[in-house]
Amino acid sequence: MFLEKEIFKEFEDIVGVGNIDDGVVITNVYAYNWCMEIFNYMDGKEPIPFSPIPKAVILPSSTEEVQKIVKLCNKYRIQIKIQSTGLGPWNQPSTDNCIIFDMRRMNKIIKIDEKNLYAVIEPYVSGAQLQVETMKYDLTIHMPGAGPMVSPLASATSMNGPGFTSPCTGHSARNVLAVEWVLPDGEVMKLGSYGLKNNSDWFHGDGPGPSLRGIMRGWAGTKSGLGVFTKVAVKLFPYPCSTDFNVKGNSPNYDFDIPDFMKLYVMDCGNFKKLEDVMLGVEEEEISFMCSYLSGFAVMAIFSNSIESLMDKIPIGQMKAPLVVIITARTKREFAYKQKVMDFLLNNFKIENIIGKIYTPKPIFYAEALRSNLGLHGFIATGGFQSSKGVADTAAVCLRSTKSNIPLKQEFIKKEAIANDFGEGTWMTSYESGHYFHMESPTMFDQTEESSVKGMAEYMEKSNQLDLLKHLGAPFFVEGTRMHELFGPYMSNYHIWLRKIKETFDPNNISDSGFYISPQNK
Amino acid sequence: MNEQEYNQMIKRCLRCSICKWIPQLQIKSQKYATICPSIDMYNFHAYSAGGRIIIALALEMGRLKPSKDLMDIVYKCTECGACAVTCKFLNTLEPLEIIVKLREKLVSLGYGPMPEQKQYIESIKNNNNPYNEPHEKRMGWLPSDIKNDPDAKTLYFVGCTSSYRRKEIAIASARVMNAANYPFKILKQKEYCCGSPILRTGDKKPFIDQVNKNIDVIEKEGIETVVFSCAGCYNTFKVDYPLERDCNFKVLHTTELFNELIENSKLELDNQVLHTVTYHDPCHLGRNSEPYEEWDGEALQMMPFISINIPEKPKRSGANGIYDSPRNLLNKIPGLNFIEMERIKEYSYCCGAGGGVKSAFPEFALKTAKTRIEEAEDTGAEIITSACPFCSTNLKDGIIEKGSSLSFYDISELILMALSSQPKSVKELSKGVT
Ligand SMILES: Cc1cc2nc3c(=O)[nH]c(=O)nc-3n(C[C@H](O)[C@H](O)[C@H](O)COP(=O)(O)OP(=O)(O)OC[C@H]3O[C@@H](n4cnc5c(N)ncnc54)[C@H](O)[C@@H]3O)c2cc1C
Repeated sequence: MFLEKEIFKEFEDIVGVGNIDDGVVITNVYAYNWCMEIFNYMDGKEPIPFSPIPKAVILPSSTEEVQKIVKLCNKYRIQIKIQSTGLGPWNQPSTDNCIIFDMRRMNKIIKIDEKNLYAVIEPYVSGAQLQVETMKYDLTIHMPGAGPMVSPLASATSMNGPGFTSPCTGHSARNVLAVEWVLPDGEVMKLGSYGLKNNSDWFHGDGPGPSLRGIMRGWAGTKSGLGVFTKVAVKLFPYPCSTDFNVKGNSPNYDFDIPDFMKLYVMDCGNFKKLEDVMLGVEEEEISFMCSYLSGFAVMAIFSNSIESLMDKIPIGQMKAPLVVIITARTKREFAYKQKVMDFLLNNFKIENIIGKIYTPKPIFYAEALRSNLGLHGFIATGGFQSSKGVADTAAVCLRSTKSNIPLKQEFIKKEAIANDFGEGTWMTSYESGHYFHMESPTMFDQTEESSVKGMAEYMEKSNQLDLLKHLGAPFFVEGTRMHELFGPYMSNYHIWLRKIKETFDPNNISDSGFYISPQNK
Repeated sequence: MNEQEYNQMIKRCLRCSICKWIPQLQIKSQKYATICPSIDMYNFHAYSAGGRIIIALALEMGRLKPSKDLMDIVYKCTECGACAVTCKFLNTLEPLEIIVKLREKLVSLGYGPMPEQKQYIESIKNNNNPYNEPHEKRMGWLPSDIKNDPDAKTLYFVGCTSSYRRKEIAIASARVMNAANYPFKILKQKEYCCGSPILRTGDKKPFIDQVNKNIDVIEKEGIETVVFSCAGCYNTFKVDYPLERDCNFKVLHTTELFNELIENSKLELDNQVLHTVTYHDPCHLGRNSEPYEEWDGEALQMMPFISINIPEKPKRSGANGIYDSPRNLLNKIPGLNFIEMERIKEYSYCCGAGGGVKSAFPEFALKTAKTRIEEAEDTGAEIITSACPFCSTNLKDGIIEKGSSLSFYDISELILMALSSQPKSVKELSKGVT
């Protein structure tokens, strides 16, 4: 038992018996997360995959319960850490004075407004769940590259947000509309049109009055550093092609009826300059469903479902600057137009589509692309994987960041700390038809070997800092007080403002700041 | 899974929660997107496959010690194996095998099986069945007009549940074989529990005793083929027995046999069964019935941290379960309108009874059955059928508890109804047996 009996009872009275647990087994389970060993090592701790053990884990079922729990936490000065689906070290408490909220029981799709193109959801609705329900209206959603099993609410309110379909579905920070937010003092804040006194609704994210969207999540999200998000409206988009989704056969060798108007292009642009030109060219035409630069190794991986099945794709791996583009359409005419544009661009840039010539992926690839399932292929080689950087800028800046990272990565490959992707492991996508771009540097390592964990941690730190030294902006993996204080002075002292926000909104420092910023003197 | 594999794998959970959902590409609705009865019931992450892998790791690291609480979590799992199917879509972990091994470890440390499971294991030791029924009454299900042939090389292994609790399944199966003039033998007093209920609890030793007892008899009787109407027995003989001892006989589930008999024109389904029917895939007949394939290759280190298996190591992915046979049968029954639930085949939702849950945690078993019954109701079917007496028991309990208008029939009963050669009274008999 980690909570005093009477205090435990007060929490239990809010959520009901069976919905709070402070036993040693359950709290230990919640102390574990993927890549925690890296963050422990970065913090000078033992590189094990466990964070501090939470005092308890609680399962609220409504906004009212969340409010009451947060108020009780203020009373007893216990910190809170929130998990939607809970993937990744960002979900872990940074102290042992913390209660984890597992939002599993808040799993309702409140509303799908197919006319105004938004859906209102609770935290534990998964991307796949929301997507299939919106598909019934010929619509779809944006999902982060993490995959369809994570929470669109978490991504929209609290964490990063690029995805493989970003060219046409944008970025989570820009897809979030109205929000219901339980502040760190337990009061409810309604953002956007949901906060209107009369005729409140969820269609808009800013106002009433000054917009608080920037404070709520800013660029990369507060990662549970500023209260609890209980409902959110997210944008919906037209489904890119026919919604017939017919997966046949048995796992893992599924077959799929590729929709009529869907075509994949994989092209070797040869060098980064040309890659930039081609990417901008494609995106300027506003025709792509997916437009990503991936290293040769990563292109092999998105077409494979096991390490062994990577091996017949070596020619793909040898590509210098591969660009993966998918076009989709709802009508024959639209499809013909988009293909014509692609033909024109390929001709102009003198590049070739290898699909159907050098390589033909299995149909299931198309299903995974439509369901945003490609990111998980990052795990097939070593089982250990993490990313660094996370730049959002022009294509040129993203590629400069990519280039500058290669020698650094090669240094760590040579030390046999990380797996060999020739230093090139990068994912870069356009957002909103080339409006801006994203890059990050996924890297494979072995989480079961201490030397690899340590090497990976050192590499990640250096990789992130490289953006600072080379004036390439703030990567989204700048998390926690130490990193903000390192980057802030070079970037208009943003960390001072971030800290002021934290102090104003969270006077008792209730929301765990491990991946946000700590208040002054606390 | 050997100790080394176990110790490696428990360090590799991504905590991605894929194990809580049906394969992502198969999700068709929000309502039926989940796959794990345990996390669906108990909500805390510890009750998922990922959570149990963390428990295994924490135990090995000495962060946790075996305890009643820990045991409770590890045993509140039906071992349905759905987590393994969805995890292995891209990963190489073996969540189900880790859970089984974790139970074995707990048993060896004196924690487990659960008290109710210990009771039925005692009953198996004493009575050869887990129901505390006298062994002498094992043949109580057998009507006098059913022919069995003491010289047949095919054995019908009835199993404890059909012998004592779901007699209608044994009767229907035997009658269908009789109708096809397919000779079979019954072991009568020499048939013993297959050991499945013991194995699933992690208590390996008494399981091996059952393996030896049954194989000894089968070998002595010169049996070439063993037919099962129980998915649990079938699975245990097909997948688990060969891991303990060589088995020189063929195993068949009745759904496979009946298909063969129809294909070979030995059995003619000529009576209309005018019902809308949905089919529940038993975990033991579906994803878990895939046998282990021998792999005698080697892991070749390509570069640091990246090694590949040459030749590729077969993945027990659930793809090769028995899915088509029961569906073919249903599609062949004249007049029968067969419709599928959303969660089927390798990603079928468990009935809730397996892994010792029905005896140790009956409320959990019942809640899971009700969930499955609701899914069946949502198809518009009037009948839910399956091919396992254990699923049958739990789903019937679920129907009653939920007040559902669905009826449950085992697939062998539906086949019997489709045979015009069977007098009506026989059908009634098969229906009415309790
Ligand atoms: C293979 C892989 C690829 C990835 N690719 C991408 C990518 O392309 N783009 C991207 O953006 N991310 C990516 N990620 C990271 C990923 O976004 C996050 O891990 C994922 O979005 C988390 O979703 P979740 O539902 O698990 O949210 P959680 O992990 O539950 O939450 C994420 C963060 O938000 C906080 N939080 C969650 N819910 C709430 C709430 N209700 N109120 C307040 N705070 C909350 C959590 O404390 C945590 O800090 C990737 C991860 C993996 C493993």
